[in-house]
Parts: sequence; structure tokens; C-alpha cells
Amino acid sequence: MNTSEIKNLMISSLNDDADTIEVPGRLEKEGISYNFSHNFGDKVLNKLFSAGLSIKREVEFVKYMNFAFYRIALTGVAAIVVLLISIFIIEGSLSLNSFLGLSDNYDESIVCLLTGN
Amino acid sequence: MINKSYNVTEEKELVKASLSGDKNAFGEIVNRYQKMVARTVKGMLGDSVFAEDIGQEVFINLYYSLPGFRGESKLSTYIQKIAVNLTLNEIKRRKRFFSMFSHKANNEMHEFEIADHDTEERKEASEIVTKALLAMDPKFRIILTMRMLQGYSTKETAEILEVPIGTVLSRLSRAQEQLRNILIKM
Repeated sequence: MNTSEIKNLMISSLNDDADTIEVPGRLEKEGISYNFSHNFGDKVLNKLFSAGLSIKREVEFVKYMNFAFYRIALTGVAAIVVLLISIFIIEGSLSLNSFLGLSDNYDESIVCLLTGN
Repeated sequence: MINKSYNVTEEKELVKASLSGDKNAFGEIVNRYQKMVARTVKGMLGDSVFAEDIGQEVFINLYYSLPGFRGESKLSTYIQKIAVNLTLNEIKRRKRFFSMFSHKANNEMHEFEIADHDTEERKEASEIVTKALLAMDPKFRIILTMRMLQGYSTKETAEILEVPIGTVLSRLSRAQEQLRNILIKM
């Protein structure tokens, strides 16, 4: 089949009343065929049925996240304890004023501090 | 992995077996219909590596949508619908992507490989078909793919594309006109 015959076949396949059943076979004879790679089926099945692996990976990720969370939370708690101890040592109590650093200040001095007068 | 000797011939039995977790049955479905899917996907997207990814996605989508397959249409029609939808979505996605970088948004497809052919004449024939297909508007390209590469009738084309027969008929004549114009320039 030469190129003009191929072109005619393409155009005629779009006729309303064309019998197109034979067309794919004729094109294939001319080497016009479309295929996936030879292990296409295996690739599809691997993608589908290796889902178990991805679930396993997901579980491991959650496990590591939990571990990381505990590490961060413990560090935070330790920092708070150190802060409380240092406040107690510096201020001599653990009252609200000591937390806010107001224990030694009078109200007037706060006004001065805030307004600058 | 695929058991080539699987000899269940009935589509319904294959579907039933796949639903009950028989990997070989689904492997048989993939084997049976991969060529059909390749014609649609590669006809529409060109013979590129992306086409193979879309082909895989077609069967993955099929696997997850099998519980919803009621057997009212043929399995091949059902698979073909998935292939058409995914391919058209991919074309839209590429068009959007390319339109961000270029004013020539319609030149999204010109990335394809021509398969090895034994003679010059065959190579030329393959190039003509591939280039003509890719030069067409996607809504006409799908019509040409269904008719020329799959050999579907007007009625079957309408069923797969989920449009009325009248729409297919009007697209056929417009596609033919566009194809003529493209082929004249080749």
C-alpha cells in the first residue's frame, strides 16, 4: 500500500457508511500497529498488587511520626521544667507575678515602663 | 506473574474471578485488552512513554471500578470508555500545562516516537498516520481513532463516547474535512 492509498483509507474510514471493521487489520499489515511494552501486563499487576507494600510504608511512616512527636514533646516538657526551676531560683516563688516577671515591680514603675514617663 | 494458560473464556467469569481476588483472571483481562487500549491511547497521545503510563492507569482504574461493572455493555466497551476518558483528560492536562509556557497551546502532542519499521514505505505510512492523528483536533482525533484504529461502527463510537449518533455523524464529516486538509499538506 503506497502513501496515497493510506491517505485514502484514512479519509474513507470517516465516511458515514464505511465498513471499518477491516481497516485496523489492513493498517496492521502495513506495519501501523500500536502495542505496549512486552511486560506491560506484569507492570499493571505489580502496581495493583504491591499496594500491600505501600500500606506497610504508610504504617512505618506513622510510627516514625509518633516517635518524633514523643521526642519533641519530651524535650518541650524538659524545657518547661528547667524554666520553672530557674523562675523559682530567681524569684523565690512560682506565683503568677513571678511568671510574668512582675514580682519586684510596683504598679507605678510598670506605668513608667510602658509609657516611658 | 500472569498465568498465560488461564483458559476461562467468558468475560463475565473473568470479571467474577477478578472480583474474588484472582490475579490471574485480571491478568488475562489485561492481556486480552491491552492491544485495544494501546490503539486508543497511542493513537490519541502518540507513541510516547506517557502513553504507556496512561495505559497502565486504564487497567488500574478498571480494577477498582470492576465492582460497579454490571455487565450491561461488553467489557471491551467499558474498558474503551475508561481509556477514552483518561486519554482526553491527559490531553486537557497537557494543554493546560503547555499553555502556561507557550502561546501555541495546541502544540501539546508533538512528542512521539515512531516505532521501528522494516521498510521505508512502512515507516512513511506509519509517520503519515501518526502525524495526521496528532495534527487533528482532539474531538476529531478520537473519532478517527475509533473508526480507523479500532474499526468501530458509528453506533459503537457513539456508545463509547457517550454522545448521540447524530453528534458522531456530524463530527465524522467535520473530522473528514479536517483530515483532508491535513493530508494535503503532507
